[in-house]
Amino acid sequence: MNSFAEINDKLIESTIEIFTGMVMMEVASAGDPLEKIGPLKKSITGMVGLAGTHKGVLAVHFPNEVALAVTSNFLGMEVGEINEDVQDAIGEIANMLGGNLKTILSDRGRDIQLSLPSTIFGDEYAFSSQAESEQVILPFQSPNGMFYVEVELER
Amino acid sequence: MAKNVLLVDDSSTMRKIISRSLRQAGLDFGEIYEAGDGQEALAMLEKEAIDIVLSDINMPNMNGIEFLREKANRPGIKDIPVFMISTETGEDIIGEAKSLGAIGALKKPFTPEKVNEVLGPLM
Repeated sequence: MNSFAEINDKLIESTIEIFTGMVMMEVASAGDPLEKIGPLKKSITGMVGLAGTHKGVLAVHFPNEVALAVTSNFLGMEVGEINEDVQDAIGEIANMLGGNLKTILSDRGRDIQLSLPSTIFGDEYAFSSQAESEQVILPFQSPNGMFYVEVELER
Repeated sequence: MAKNVLLVDDSSTMRKIISRSLRQAGLDFGEIYEAGDGQEALAMLEKEAIDIVLSDINMPNMNGIEFLREKANRPGIKDIPVFMISTETGEDIIGEAKSLGAIGALKKPFTPEKVNEVLGPLM
């Protein structure tokens, strides 16, 4: 298995590629990986699960204002509230990142299965890790604020 | 003559993005039809005059691989070409898709330039 440092570098590259190429938004890595983030407030999280030789979850956490800007850019139309379009767009970003993570972990494709993407959102919620998982949170800066890509993999 | 395209993806966002990318790539195509999974795609192929299918793999109800397998058993639609557009680009999965008749694959994320490069010759 790749080290988490290698995974981090490739995930940063993938995130920037997805935002530049498909969301049409310039984003940048914003410092060292974090070990945890506090309760998420007025945010939306897109996530996909990994099963098979690597088990875990990839999540991407956006404050609402960033999620709205991302969705507006992604769809090429103004979006003013967290609705089905935003959930679908954020889920699809998690799906693309999950696909890239799967390729990073295994380039053959059959030994890791990806779940369909899902989203959670609300005024305040926690995204907690399992005790037996290795976890990293990558911070990114967008023109509308910070967002975070989180990976948890079972040890 | 411009080809009619069926986009198969459970994400409405992704269907919009692919549709936009086809336009931005300057490709000449006819009608764009949409389906949210393999089952809807099969029904659409039976009903509409579709020339090429651009399909995701990881979808609910009937995924892209199951769609290819089922389509191959339906004489009226089995020869309509299918091109995969997916985050799933592992060689095992793409190999299976090709063995079931897929004519190629494009990895998400993609740019309009990449869409033009790989789909241009098919349009």
